Amino acid sequence: MSFEYHEPAAVAEAVALGARFGEAGRFLAGGTDLIIQMRRGKVAPRHVLSLHRVPGLDRIEANGAITLGALVTHRAVERCADFQGPLGALVEGARVVGGHQIRNVATVGGNVVNASPAADVVPVLLTLDATVTCLGPDGERTLPLEGFLTGPGQTARRPGELLTAIRFERLPPASATAFLKAGRRRAMEISVVCVAARLTLDPARERCLAARITLGAVAPTTMRARAAERALEGRPLTDDVLREAGRLAAGECRPISDVRASARYRRLLVETLVPRALRRCRERIGGGA
Amino acid sequence: MSRLALSLRINGETHEVLTAPHRTLLDVLRDDLGLTGTKENCLEAECGVCTVLLDGRAVNACILLAAQCAGREVVTIEGLARGAELHPLQRAFVEHGAVQCGYCIPGMLLAAKAYLDEDGAPTEDGIREALAGNLCRCTGYQKIADAVLAAAAALRGSRAGGGGCTHP
Ligand SMILES: Cc1cc2nc3c(=O)[nH]c(=O)nc-3n(C[C@H](O)[C@H](O)[C@H](O)COP(=O)(O)OP(=O)(O)OC[C@H]3O[C@@H](n4cnc5c(N)ncnc54)[C@H](O)[C@@H]3O)c2cc1C
Ligand code: FES
Ligand code: FES
Repeated sequence: MSFEYHEPAAVAEAVALGARFGEAGRFLAGGTDLIIQMRRGKVAPRHVLSLHRVPGLDRIEANGAITLGALVTHRAVERCADFQGPLGALVEGARVVGGHQIRNVATVGGNVVNASPAADVVPVLLTLDATVTCLGPDGERTLPLEGFLTGPGQTARRPGELLTAIRFERLPPASATAFLKAGRRRAMEISVVCVAARLTLDPARERCLAARITLGAVAPTTMRARAAERALEGRPLTDDVLREAGRLAAGECRPISDVRASARYRRLLVETLVPRALRRCRERIGGGA
Repeated sequence: MSRLALSLRINGETHEVLTAPHRTLLDVLRDDLGLTGTKENCLEAECGVCTVLLDGRAVNACILLAAQCAGREVVTIEGLARGAELHPLQRAFVEHGAVQCGYCIPGMLLAAKAYLDEDGAPTEDGIREALAGNLCRCTGYQKIADAVLAAAAALRGSRAGGGGCTHP
């Protein structure tokens, strides 16, 4: 590792440095992905721009819509009282990222920009229809998270652009979320498969109004299982319907075999975890079906 | 190559160091300052032997640039005891036989300290979760969990007694 080190003290300064160095620069947040990739020689930026002195990006704003500053840590998400109810999957996703040492420094923004298909918080954000806001020399732009993730380690972020925030709306009444992760052990483990789900029921709590199902580690990017979502919307959520959604999700995912698991096993996990996550949402909403 | 002049606060003392930007806090602690109580092993934030406290929170010194620590408070294992008086966690580890080869112990102690500072009345599950980022190849973890539980009780006792625990 050999680079010049910079410590911008304000958002504007970070953006100016980002623009100046372009592809040759990298922002450093918690460093839990970046420093390791640099040490392994996978990336070799000539300029490292540490963000730890940039104020204001580590805030969670929860009045109306929710805004997570890019530097909010997983530990802060895990402990945020606003995420105890219907948004509980955020806590479930954040609290399985590494151990305390990782979660104390690793950020949600880093999880998003690193764009690993196995990221744990990204699938939860996708079920919330989150958007990401990037700031560059030409100003700010806001994109849907789904379109932002373009491939393994690849995003629509332009060279030098700073991710500033991730936003999503609060959920309507009769909604719940759930996150489940399968790894080879319970902690400190990259997901073999992870699944996030969000359900909104009608006021009578009988039929599904809206469903989101997202899958991690089974495609080049975290993906939405759209066929499975469509199979739920408008229907009463019986166990059979939830199992059907699991089968559809297993069919539409595109896993590979690697050191952690075979493609076949990953599909089996999807088929099992999707209905389990949906049942959990259904229980959390309560009543009906 | 460029060098950075850093002012580092470690165990309450200020150290001025001149270092290359890529060097980690772990490099500086062990190689420049001779504070070898912080151990070095995987260098990928997996094993926890390099755990130190940064502004009170447990972090892996192996993936933290020294430059990122300037002006912040670092506590290493050398700063845990007060002179000759062991921290209650250290005493509990000794009393419960929670130390075998000892290699993982500095990191275990600091991760446990950060956790007890947050949650003074932990459960065993909570302790195991808090120490999930610290590997031990010797003890099987049970005695470590027992020791942390006992230390938590001892700390609660000393606080209740108005002893005013003022460890860093
Ligand atoms: C031991 C270990 C266990 C882990 N376990 C998990 C796990 O269980 N689940 C999981 O999902 N991840 C896991 N990770 C991966 C990692 O911790 C997460 O992806 C984390 O959220 C990354 O955040 P960071 O702040 O450390 O990012 P960094 O490493 O600082 O940055 C990651 C990338 O994002 C860029 N970046 C960061 N912030 C910004 C910004 N604001 N604007 C523009 N670009 C930016 C950086 O330039 C870099 O390319 C683990 C890592 C380790 C070392
Ligand atoms: S040496 Fe830092 S975690 Fe292993
Ligand atoms: S006591 Fe030997 S590694 Fe833990």
